[in-house]
Amino acid sequence: MGEKIVFKNYKEMPIRAMSVADMTWNLTGSWRNIRPYYDFKLSPCRVGCPAGEDIQKYIFLLIEDRAEEAWRTIIETNPMPAVTGRVCFHPCMEKCTRKDFDQSINIPGIERSIGDLGLENPGWMKKTKASKKEKVAVVGGGPAGLSCAFYLARRGYAVTLFEADKALGGVLRWGIPEYRLPNTLLDDVITQIVESGPITVKSGTALGKGVDLESLEKEFDALFLGLGLAESRALGIDGEETDGVEAGLEFLRRVNSGEKVDPGKRVAVIGGGNTAMDVARCALRSGSDVTVIYRRTRHEMPAISDEIEEAEHEGVNFRFLAAPKDIITKNGKLEKVVFQEMELGEPDESGRRRPVPVEGKTFELELDRMFTAIGETADLGPIEGRVGSEWNLIGADGESYQTSRKGIYAGGDVVTGAASVVEAVAAGRKAAEAIERSFTGAEDKAVEEPKVIGFEDINTAYFDHSNRSLLPRIDHKEAVNGFGEIHLGFSPEMLARETERCFSCGVCNFCDNCWVFCPDVAIIRKEDEYEVDYDFCKGCLVCVIECPRGCISTREEGK
Amino acid sequence: MRPAKIPTEELMTSGHLACQGCGATQAMRFALKALGPKTALVIPACCWSVIDGPFPHSSLKVPIFHTAFEAAASTASGLKAGLEMRGDTETVVMAWAGDGGTFDIGIQALSGAAERNEDMIYCCYDNEAYMNTGIQRSSATPAGAWTTTTPIKHYKKRPKKKIIDIMAAHSIPYIATASVAYPLDLIEKFKKAREIKGTRFIHVFAPCPTGWKLAPELSVSMARQAVTSKIFPLMEVTDNGRRWSVWKDFEPTPLQDYIKAQGRFRHLTDEEIEGIGRETERNWQELLMKERISLELPGLESE
Ligand SMILES: Cc1cc2nc3c(=O)[nH]c(=O)nc-3n(C[C@H](O)[C@H](O)[C@H](O)COP(=O)(O)OP(=O)(O)OC[C@H]3O[C@@H](n4cnc5c(N)ncnc54)[C@H](O)[C@@H]3O)c2cc1C
Ligand SMILES: Cc1ncc(C[n+]2csc(CCOP(=O)(O)OP(=O)(O)O)c2C)c(N)n1
Ligand code: SF4
Ligand code: SF4
Ligand code: SF4
Ligand SMILES: [Mg+2]
Repeated sequence: MGEKIVFKNYKEMPIRAMSVADMTWNLTGSWRNIRPYYDFKLSPCRVGCPAGEDIQKYIFLLIEDRAEEAWRTIIETNPMPAVTGRVCFHPCMEKCTRKDFDQSINIPGIERSIGDLGLENPGWMKKTKASKKEKVAVVGGGPAGLSCAFYLARRGYAVTLFEADKALGGVLRWGIPEYRLPNTLLDDVITQIVESGPITVKSGTALGKGVDLESLEKEFDALFLGLGLAESRALGIDGEETDGVEAGLEFLRRVNSGEKVDPGKRVAVIGGGNTAMDVARCALRSGSDVTVIYRRTRHEMPAISDEIEEAEHEGVNFRFLAAPKDIITKNGKLEKVVFQEMELGEPDESGRRRPVPVEGKTFELELDRMFTAIGETADLGPIEGRVGSEWNLIGADGESYQTSRKGIYAGGDVVTGAASVVEAVAAGRKAAEAIERSFTGAEDKAVEEPKVIGFEDINTAYFDHSNRSLLPRIDHKEAVNGFGEIHLGFSPEMLARETERCFSCGVCNFCDNCWVFCPDVAIIRKEDEYEVDYDFCKGCLVCVIECPRGCISTREEGK
Repeated sequence: MRPAKIPTEELMTSGHLACQGCGATQAMRFALKALGPKTALVIPACCWSVIDGPFPHSSLKVPIFHTAFEAAASTASGLKAGLEMRGDTETVVMAWAGDGGTFDIGIQALSGAAERNEDMIYCCYDNEAYMNTGIQRSSATPAGAWTTTTPIKHYKKRPKKKIIDIMAAHSIPYIATASVAYPLDLIEKFKKAREIKGTRFIHVFAPCPTGWKLAPELSVSMARQAVTSKIFPLMEVTDNGRRWSVWKDFEPTPLQDYIKAQGRFRHLTDEEIEGIGRETERNWQELLMKERISLELPGLESE
């Protein structure tokens, strides 16, 4: 800080009027009545992601050419970005601030690139060893179980993973077809997870068949149940057992195991969810003419909207407001189905309008095959009477993932009902954290929720309009000829272009604006941060406005 | 941290006496970052003669010669001549004057110096009124604005003087406009000017929150919108007044937004604002036409 020079008499004055000192004795900070301060906030995409991925951060790291750190950032909350990058319903994009400017960032596309890089660079996964005395059994090798096992192993707990099937993956393995999620890729993802730490896999070992709950409780310090939903819900009409009527899940299982299937020419799929879409598209790829029949309208369809669009473009027909009524057979084989026409009535508990039959209106379709895909339910036989359940779903606390039985935790579809991969992944991780807390006695630290950035906090003058980059793909006509993956990953140039579109909402990306525009040179540019020099900041708040991404907040002085 | 896009050297320090959000200080800071320490300033009476600090203090790390209100260009001519006599050809001399000191009282000295093609940079930081003495109108005050000498009832009707046309008519080697909202562009222009011999005139748009009745945090934003609403185009006139080039690569914003944010225009009706809009568009088209014509006519023979 400079010193103020005061002349006591004319003799002290220089001969010529010449300045000899600077102005830094003048602490203009005293002029300030409001102060700016750095206050990084939460980007809305992160709030939208059920797994809570730090999207802004990994995009920033990619821009900085720090791909390994970007991958590490994702892995902190999601062990399978290569999977979610392909199949997630991406609620993050709905929340993305850029949506209100032009088009949201292609977050799953970026996530997929990072996930694939993680598979191409096996050295990135640092292996952990068992370092804690407690052991955990995880039952079910779907996304929930895999995630729970991964995060427990990361923390040094030895995990034994029991899976009824001969291979791990759950719905990822036998539900989602190869054109969306290739099996070889899934194998790589699962291998990477299983080999990351002390995880012992016992496949072909079902709870209730190979092992029972009590013996697991004896051997392990905690149990996680990620059983998923393996049973198809029945239509509840006569003739469902007929040759020619098949549960969609069974069909997908056969397709995914590589079996050559021939459902016949005339195929109907009953339902409007992801299962219905995948069944329809697999049947299409097996040479059938396919009609999806759904009792509500397109608007109420629970399937991921991208998947509905894909199905439409590939040539699946849709018939809304109809439900099967009678199955008519000939020589013990399906001949045709009578459908009841429906209309939408009052909303039900789910908020969707309830379909009600239109009196006297029916139609018939001659069919070679009818697939049912109206929902899945859990098989809770193995825990019957010991772990509390409701509506055939396991009851578990939303925060602690504890079931009614001490030491037993549960998550994923078996708790929530049919949901999504990312929600199952999130549940698995949070349950792992809860299990660790039960061992260590640590409290769930209630962290103060940071403020979430809104579009109004973005200074759009600093951004040019641009369209979202889409993943390259094979076209629809070609896609239906086989089961090859439809979407390909971004090229490095496309990835760079898309990451550059991110606003980095609420988190400083060192753009320098605050430092550049401060009229009082009151922002100190340091090695990897900035600091307000309150000795001189006059509180003009230019920095607050010119920060493109809302990183600076204000507080009135003296309050 | 990534390397900074603008020079990190600071030749202006904190502790200066400018108001909150002062655009003139940003202009000085950026200009000196471009020109470097081998710069001597000549400052006539204006806000900057106060901002710098009271004798014997200065918030600038380069020498300043304070001169009379009307004398910036002639003093700078003399200072440059004096330095050359002493064998210093490296130091760049820059007259740094307000709009009053340039458009009004200093124009005779400026015109004379420019006609002689004196070797200096003349920078006019334009806050669109005599701000230092309490917001009196200048010939740079835009039509429609309130000042203390153009009160609301008799707000300014005459348009802003077209100083770039005047300077271009002097056939000097380099003329540019710049804005504190575009520091990279501003710095580039001052760097370019430093390398040219003869009179270089740079007109920098520098909002004054106090005089414009504007929230200080919006000062840079206003400077930006002045450009994107076309009321203050960013441009260069090179080749001794012959080549005009106008920056057009921006997303336009409504002039309404620019006008309505500032208290000095608060009295204007929507029709009056529309009138300003028509005049702005006309000026913009005229400028584009000048650019086109300048490209069709021959340039300097030496080229
Ligand atoms: C056809 C289809 C397509 C889908 N598409 C998408 C999509 O594109 N995007 C998306 O986000 N979501 C999709 N979903 C939903 C998503 O797959 C599920 O929400 C998710 O897989 C749930 O994970 P989970 O781990 O809870 O259960 P699951 O994936 O069902 O895994 C449960 C595992 O537990 C095993 N298991 C069950 N009982 C026992 C037992 N007693 N002992 C040992 N092991 C047992 C099962 O074999 C299975 O491996 C789809 C679902 C289906 C059915
Ligand atoms: C000959 C003369 N007349 C009047 C003044 C009083 N005076 C000092 S600064 C100033 C206004 C300067 O206006 P401008 O050049 O636009 O600079 P600003 O203060 O706006 O930065 C005036 C009128 C003076 N110093 N000398
Ligand atoms: S712009 Fe980037 S940080 Fe902001 S919400 Fe979208 S993805 Fe997240
Ligand atoms: S721009 Fe500078 S003076 Fe203005 S509030 Fe920010 S730090 Fe303070
Ligand atoms: S203006 Fe730029 S450097 Fe300053 S806080 Fe905001 S993002 Fe960071
Ligand atoms: Mg002025």
